[in-house]
Amino acid sequence: MNVLLLVMLAVPFASGAITLLLGHRAEHAGKAVAVGGEAVALTLACVVAFSHLGSASPTAHVYASTAAVGPPIALSLSVDQLSAVMVLLVHVVAFLVQVYSLGYLAHDPRYPSYAFLVSVFTGAMSLVVTADDLWVLLVGWELMGACSYFLIAHHWELPEARAGAVKAFLMTRTADLGLLFGILVLGHRFGTYQITSIMGAIRHDAFQVDSLWLPALLFLAAAVGKSAQVPLHTWLPDAMPGPTPISALIHAATMVAAGVFLVARCYPMFLNSTSALTWMAFIAAVTMLLAAVHALTSTDLKRVLAWSTVSQLAYMFGALAVGSYSAAVLHLLAHGAFKALLFLAAGSVVHAVEGATSMTAMGGLRRRMPYTFVTMTLGFGALAGVVPLVGFFTKDAVISAALREATGGREVWPFVAWLLVASMIVTAMLTVAYSLRAWLLVFFGAPAPAAEHAHEPPWVMRAPLLLLAVPTALGGVAVAYPAFVLGPGRGGELFHAPMAIASTAIVVVAAVAVLVAWRRRTEWDLWRARPVPHPRADALYEFAVVRPVRWLAGGTVFGDREVIGGYVEGAAGAAGGLGRLLRWAQNGSVQAYLMVVVVGAVAVALAAGARA
Amino acid sequence: MPLWWPLLLASLLFAIGVYGVLVRRNAVLVLMGVELMLNAVNINMVAFDAHLRAALHAGQTFTLFIIVIAAAEIGLALAIVLLVFRSHGHIEVDRLRALADRDEPATEETGR
Amino acid sequence: MTTILQVLFVLLGLVAVGSALLVVTTANLVHAALWLVVSLGAVAGVFLLLAAEFVAWVQVLIYVGAVVVLLLFALMLTRAPTGRQPELSTRRSVPAAVVAVLVAALLGTTVVAGFRGARIDLQHAQVGTPQVVGGALFRTWVLPFEVLSVLLLAALVGAIVLSRLRAERGGAD
Repeated sequence: MNVLLLVMLAVPFASGAITLLLGHRAEHAGKAVAVGGEAVALTLACVVAFSHLGSASPTAHVYASTAAVGPPIALSLSVDQLSAVMVLLVHVVAFLVQVYSLGYLAHDPRYPSYAFLVSVFTGAMSLVVTADDLWVLLVGWELMGACSYFLIAHHWELPEARAGAVKAFLMTRTADLGLLFGILVLGHRFGTYQITSIMGAIRHDAFQVDSLWLPALLFLAAAVGKSAQVPLHTWLPDAMPGPTPISALIHAATMVAAGVFLVARCYPMFLNSTSALTWMAFIAAVTMLLAAVHALTSTDLKRVLAWSTVSQLAYMFGALAVGSYSAAVLHLLAHGAFKALLFLAAGSVVHAVEGATSMTAMGGLRRRMPYTFVTMTLGFGALAGVVPLVGFFTKDAVISAALREATGGREVWPFVAWLLVASMIVTAMLTVAYSLRAWLLVFFGAPAPAAEHAHEPPWVMRAPLLLLAVPTALGGVAVAYPAFVLGPGRGGELFHAPMAIASTAIVVVAAVAVLVAWRRRTEWDLWRARPVPHPRADALYEFAVVRPVRWLAGGTVFGDREVIGGYVEGAAGAAGGLGRLLRWAQNGSVQAYLMVVVVGAVAVALAAGARA
Repeated sequence: MPLWWPLLLASLLFAIGVYGVLVRRNAVLVLMGVELMLNAVNINMVAFDAHLRAALHAGQTFTLFIIVIAAAEIGLALAIVLLVFRSHGHIEVDRLRALADRDEPATEETGR
Repeated sequence: MTTILQVLFVLLGLVAVGSALLVVTTANLVHAALWLVVSLGAVAGVFLLLAAEFVAWVQVLIYVGAVVVLLLFALMLTRAPTGRQPELSTRRSVPAAVVAVLVAALLGTTVVAGFRGARIDLQHAQVGTPQVVGGALFRTWVLPFEVLSVLLLAALVGAIVLSRLRAERGGAD
């Protein structure tokens, strides 16, 4: 098992490297290696995962250890139920994305580097979810960030791609300082960097409540950055200039869920710290609402989906904040499935309308693209929480948990808990609204000129959609049997009939409102992009971060050029001046030379005389 | 007479000759300063000869030698001065600075 | 005890120094040469007073007669302007004067300090007649004498060669 785990981790890296090395010399071989390698990794992942699901006991193994000053850093991996489901999610979505990319990037000359980066990303994410040593986790975490940066800038000739990549990288990297310092604090506090040891110590020893607020808040900061929550939420919509399969893999299903994963992995630490949980709840409440409003007012299809991702991630954080680990993890898995489906379907649509991502260039596509229409409908339905799709069950679980907390829990402050509940309910309505709006704009109505000749993409791109539609439609089963997925002791009652009825009612009300608006769309004009009135986070960043940095940079340049450069130039000038001074000794005038000789002779004579 | 009288006279003449060499612009005037210096030396020689009254009469003999050498030297020096005058058109020692260390190549005083 | 010799010496010395000063400071080129004549003549007088007869007359002959004439010829051949020339001394006159004063002070103090007590006994001086000088010259100092004549020849030849060089052709080393 241990060897298998290592091999599973190594295969994506190896296949990526081979694809890159094959490059353009053997394109078909490269594609075969990329997809085949991922298939092999998926198989191994299935083996590893299925042997750890349900009531299986977690395994941990240390492969190597360093004798460092302070706690030793070890290459150690551990697989429990959480790691198992995450590994499955990552590899399934990655495999489907690799297959899909064969069609989407069929004519792209940068395919080798793309495939390499996707493979490296897959390996890095697998490393993150199976890491037992915090430093190994950090390595995988940063590697994911690097791959994300490169992949967003895949079309680096587009200025928005370059800008989006840099923004994503800078914001997540800054947040990762929280992870770094949190690791250092934990290492110092517990004398070890192994997650299982630390969490075991927290669970079993009597820790004073809220004594771990510092590492918890630091980890929360890293999670907020990686998962694009307020105030670090602006990078995710701007990462959309990357290729759509990447948006599906990285910015919907897996990497942005790593923040949620981190909290879930270190859950005992967070449960100990009420302040961290309260902050998490507050951030989640604000983010889900803000993101939903943005999604409702965008016309770019991918931006709608990106804001939707931010909003759904906030749901997961909300669930974690109120102590419901199972609801959060199940929603993560469900979201991974249906959001990947939505993005890949969006990719098909974009591909069909020749690259336009604005919904004004679409319309009436349901007859021209039936497969895409059906699968995307299922995806939007899951997003909106329509029964009996998986999204319905997991979202209900989350809202029930929040309600339970608000009416009698003790994890977070009551005011924040009620705020969270209210926010979740309003956001649910908004989610229905924007999902329905997007669905109607893309598939109904009169087609735009670019959509006149839309047709289904090749089967390479259709098959992943159909495959992802399966868990989207049938995944609700997992909610009914959480212990199978999440292990013993998890889950409890996740399905409440009253909650189900209430949420369905919400869905119906919101849907009716939107449909009415749709019928009267020429009069009410709710379908165009509208700016959302709120303080723009980016403007704040510009003022608080970008401008001081630019000013400092200008100051540094000035210091280098004028101050330090002044010394350098001054040295040159001094040498020149000294030279000019010494040049007088060679000024060509014989009488000057004679003067010097006579003075010298006199001086020598005087000196000799003085001595005698 | 005290010995130091002629010696002092020689020193003064020598110093005046030095001044002339260092200060005068015209090359011929510089040579006049040189002559003054040589004469100072001669006075020195003769004074010591009178004081020491050696059998070899070295003082006066050397004085003669110095006079001869001075004559030879001034002949040659003036020949050179005439050459300089022919090539440069002037004999101002001040302006003959072709060998100075400078950035741009010498223009006026390169001579060729 | 001041004798007539000492008085004469002082007078001649003053003349020599004064005219030497005029040589190096006058603004007139030809006047400088003429003052040089006076100075050299005074020096010849000093030689006489110091019982160096032959040397004195050689001084007059060669220096005053030949050398100064040569200098005058040179002035003429280089088209020295007549009349007062304002720019005959360089701007360095003050430092040069300082240097000259220093030299004078140095040498003067050295000789005075060194030979304060010595006196030239002119009553018993051996007068430098041509006989005496010739005897010394052709007996003890005959070798340097011959060498000197070769030197004169060399100078002669050199002067002729130099003056025959054409300036345009170059190569004056």
